[in-house]
Amino acid sequence: MKRQTKLDSAEQQQHAAGQQTQQQSALEFAAAEELLRYDAEHTAVPGSIAQRLQESTGSLPPPARSWWRRLFRRGNP
Amino acid sequence: MNEPVAEQACLDQAPSGLTPSEFADLYTSHSRAIYYLALRFLGDPQKAEDATHDVFLKAFRKMDQFRGEASWRTWLYRIAINHCRNLQQAWHERHLFSNADDAVWESAAVPDDSPLRVLETRELGERIQKALDGLPAEYRLLLLLVADEELSYEQVGVLTEQSADAVRGKLHRARKAFTVLFRKSA
Repeated sequence: MKRQTKLDSAEQQQHAAGQQTQQQSALEFAAAEELLRYDAEHTAVPGSIAQRLQESTGSLPPPARSWWRRLFRRGNP
Repeated sequence: MNEPVAEQACLDQAPSGLTPSEFADLYTSHSRAIYYLALRFLGDPQKAEDATHDVFLKAFRKMDQFRGEASWRTWLYRIAINHCRNLQQAWHERHLFSNADDAVWESAAVPDDSPLRVLETRELGERIQKALDGLPAEYRLLLLLVADEELSYEQVGVLTEQSADAVRGKLHRARKAFTVLFRKSA
């Protein structure tokens, strides 16, 4: 399924990024948010979330369009 | 991050609504940011995993409430913040807990522009978590949101219900508090 493929791909990219976390040393960060940004970039998102999400949304109808978008389209064909 | 691509995909959606593929794009673009916020705000990988799942499930169910006034990222953050706060509130009701006194780091002899040096990255995540856990929830959230380069101070202000100037003022204290606690964690 296309959705599964996309989610799996994202998981692989994030896992690969996580592998690099332990390799560096002697880093310097000008501020706390820079350190957090570095940490975020090297934190892998568990692939199980995408799998669970797919199971959870699988039985639900596709998400509806936003009401304001419908309204906008109606007025601007 | 490819938020604009995901946003454009959603704008160009078919009349029947957001397709599963577009929802997957949304997840791909924002899952790291949402997971990281949940991880460091809650301090527990399992809770963060559950929270991230629940946030995207809520977003899926409430997609019709997205009015386009905010970016997808901001909208998802709002859901995530409310969700994490609810989880924390439930936890705090069961466990009496108090954050350290603001005066502790206000009086600490740490220069405002003092850089954070990290010699060993192996325990970095744990050190960051320890430092964040010692902060008041407001400071923790502020630092985590400001760390996201996609958010402006104005957007952080909207998400935390204060002005951009108030964000800047508190950020100064939050940085200092984090620095004190992070150094203690070495």
